[in-house]
Amino acid sequence: MNRPVPELAGTIFEPLEFRNLTVKNRVFRSSISGRFDNYDGSGTETRINWDVKFARGGVGTIISSNSPVLPRGLIVPGYASLDSDERVPFWRELGKRVHEYDCAYIPQIAFSGRQRDIGGIQYETGLSSTDKPEPLHGFPCERMTVAQIRETVEAFAQAARRVREAELDGVEIHGCNGYLITQFLSPAINDRKDEYGGSLENRARFALEIVRAVRREVGDDLHLQFKISAADYHDALFPWEPKGTRIEDTIQVCKWLEEAGVDAFHVSVGSSFPHPRNPAGGFPITDSIRSYDTMLSSGKNTFRNYLMFRTWPVNRLFKRLWERSSRDGAEGINLPEARAVKQAVSVPVICAGGFQTASVISAAIENGWIDAVSMGRPLIANPDLVNLFAEGHDQAPRPCTYCNKCLINFVENPLGCYEESRFKSREEMVRQILSVYEGAPLPSEVT
Amino acid sequence: MIFEALRLGPLTVKNRVLRSSVAGRFDNYDGSGTDTRINWDVKFARGGVGAIISSNAPIDPRGGIVPGYAGVERDDRIPFWRKLGERVHEHDCAYILQIVHAGRERILPGLGEAIGLSSTDKAEPMNGFPCRSMTIAEIGDVVRAFAAAARRAREAGLDGVEVAGANGMLPTQFLSSAINDRHDDYGGSLENRARFAIEIVRAIRAEVGDGFCLGFKLSVRERLNELLPWLPSGNTLTESLRVCRWLEEAGVDYLHISVGGGFPHPRNPAGRFPAADVVKTFDTLLSSGRHTFRNYLAFRTWPLNRVFSWWWERPSRRVGIEGINLPEARAAKQAVSVPVLCTGGFQTASVIANAIERGDCDAVTIARPLVANPELVNLFAEGHDRAPRPCTYCNKCLFNFVENPLGCYEERRYASREEMLAEILSVYRMPERVDA
Repeated sequence: MNRPVPELAGTIFEPLEFRNLTVKNRVFRSSISGRFDNYDGSGTETRINWDVKFARGGVGTIISSNSPVLPRGLIVPGYASLDSDERVPFWRELGKRVHEYDCAYIPQIAFSGRQRDIGGIQYETGLSSTDKPEPLHGFPCERMTVAQIRETVEAFAQAARRVREAELDGVEIHGCNGYLITQFLSPAINDRKDEYGGSLENRARFALEIVRAVRREVGDDLHLQFKISAADYHDALFPWEPKGTRIEDTIQVCKWLEEAGVDAFHVSVGSSFPHPRNPAGGFPITDSIRSYDTMLSSGKNTFRNYLMFRTWPVNRLFKRLWERSSRDGAEGINLPEARAVKQAVSVPVICAGGFQTASVISAAIENGWIDAVSMGRPLIANPDLVNLFAEGHDQAPRPCTYCNKCLINFVENPLGCYEESRFKSREEMVRQILSVYEGAPLPSEVT
Repeated sequence: MIFEALRLGPLTVKNRVLRSSVAGRFDNYDGSGTDTRINWDVKFARGGVGAIISSNAPIDPRGGIVPGYAGVERDDRIPFWRKLGERVHEHDCAYILQIVHAGRERILPGLGEAIGLSSTDKAEPMNGFPCRSMTIAEIGDVVRAFAAAARRAREAGLDGVEVAGANGMLPTQFLSSAINDRHDDYGGSLENRARFAIEIVRAIRAEVGDGFCLGFKLSVRERLNELLPWLPSGNTLTESLRVCRWLEEAGVDYLHISVGGGFPHPRNPAGRFPAADVVKTFDTLLSSGRHTFRNYLAFRTWPLNRVFSWWWERPSRRVGIEGINLPEARAAKQAVSVPVLCTGGFQTASVIANAIERGDCDAVTIARPLVANPELVNLFAEGHDRAPRPCTYCNKCLFNFVENPLGCYEERRYASREEMLAEILSVYRMPERVDA
């Protein structure tokens, strides 16, 4: 691509060099996808269509949506997994299709722990550091034994090996947003009395063991990044809750992780997903009522929550509480934490959190706060956002409104932008959402 | 008798067992087909059935029951159906596409229109799915859409189409005296209520000609008062037999006999109401209708759920499940000269053979027992009267399909829960090809 790079976009289009990987620009598609794959974790053409859309739109790197390393580690059924060797050909094919656009592909290897929105038919309960259910929905879990911890560490290593065999460009360990690794790291969740709980060192043991096991399995030359919740903000909804992990703790953990072989950090926040600060923005009541019903059988608090979402004025109150955290804006909400991590480590730092303005992104990079950004929702709204930046736009003509309707719809409906105000008509919106089922043309077919 | 060939108009089927219309939400949300659907259907073709009647294929984007079923509403769906037909034909099995418009029976409306179409403005009574009464122009559009769907089935090289006229689908909503409250040419007298169905059959015949098999599935007794006691019962057998004769005159090659003016219905699929499983998946429907929350509370709450189960299971207890619709099929067979297929819990070779020999029906269609034992017909051929582990009519398959892959969820039929899960999830793996 020999397009002139406008002044405005600045550093966005400078390649980013990691120790083992160089990517063409500073925008990563963050881990996001709909329930486009099969219930058993096998991948589909639809997933390929989904990811290729962003590669065509100009992002330098795609981080896959969460890919479970074991069947019990799923968040909801319908996401392609990396839990067995027979999955490798699918990922290889997906990687090839994305590489056609000079875009790197990094699978995110994940384990949900107790945060399973829909547990599926295989396991009634999740695994966690604790046996206390997840607090918002009441998803049940079992406290992991040391044998189960070892098995899970090894499963992460094997998933990373599969990524390498699929000829992809690196691997991201999903260590944030309230999933299993957060459940160990967070003092607000982890109540263990053994060597995996208590002190910071003990709580970080699980994460460090995973990184070391992955390195042992894939060698020193595969790009390995770690996504971390730099701060838990565990008290974001209810001030009487403990704060959880603070940035000072995270800085220490990141130093340990870097020593263990991590090539980059991807900074997010929050001890749960969703969390008022991630994805920061609106709490769409009407959409929640329509799709939260599917989760009623998943936890012991879901029925209470469903009644709350349906009932005025409790739903309004909840909405206000939720949206309080992002009242200063969603774009760049995690920059303070990312900057603190960057100052403490020597590897590059990628920051998530509402980015969609070229000047905001390039300023953050030029100021040395971060090295790159990752985007979820703004790219769902405008998959060609990076191409728009290259053409000189500072923002897309119809930017993401952070309404979070995409997030709320994914359980029941195909992922896409559900903000009707961004489209000429509801029909246009539905057509755009359903277009994911139609294959994207190859680069040679694009005029 | 079971292994004698069956003629359905221009189509010859190798035996007397057809797989009835059943599949999970295996396709894409937009109605495009997937390999999983092919795996699902091929499994039954391998198991020996003479023909497969597809699961409901919507003829219109608004006519789907729930997202995730391959549609036949556009020409670009044809290549998928052709590929599916070819794979099924490898097993010397015929493939009949069931074409459907759900009308107001949309258990998950998806992203399309929020309101279903029907003969009436009155919401569906059980779950309160909203609808509005169709205009004459809309009726004409739907009739033409049925004909176009049948043309696509023929172009795809399939062996026939079956109009889903039973079980509360749109043609039922017109046929039913308990549902249709129109005052125009499409409501009132039985002739008027049947007009929509007859127009569909004639339009299909005009489109595909005489050389293509055309069947019609009909609920010959609606018994809506068995669903909820305060509803009127709907069409009687006598009324339906007149409709059968009209359908025959209009050109159908066979009639497929079912009962129940809604779906599900205590007689279709007859059997248990598994309240514990229902609670786990019915939640998904809460945003679909006005009464779904009421029903959900009832299904969760002892003793209301017990009372409802008792009520639901009453017809099955009183008359039995296997062959529950044979009296109605016999009456239809006496009224028409085209072949009559009968659905309803069949899974015993001697029961099926006797029914055919007695002249109650010409063939049977099977859904749940084949979900439990896809190889059932091959077992019959080997001399078994029943599968070693027959279907228990627990209906857990039915109530799981909204959220989970369709399969047999009766744990007692398996050595372990793991075996059950492996069997259910095997649908995502391509069965070996015949030549393999």
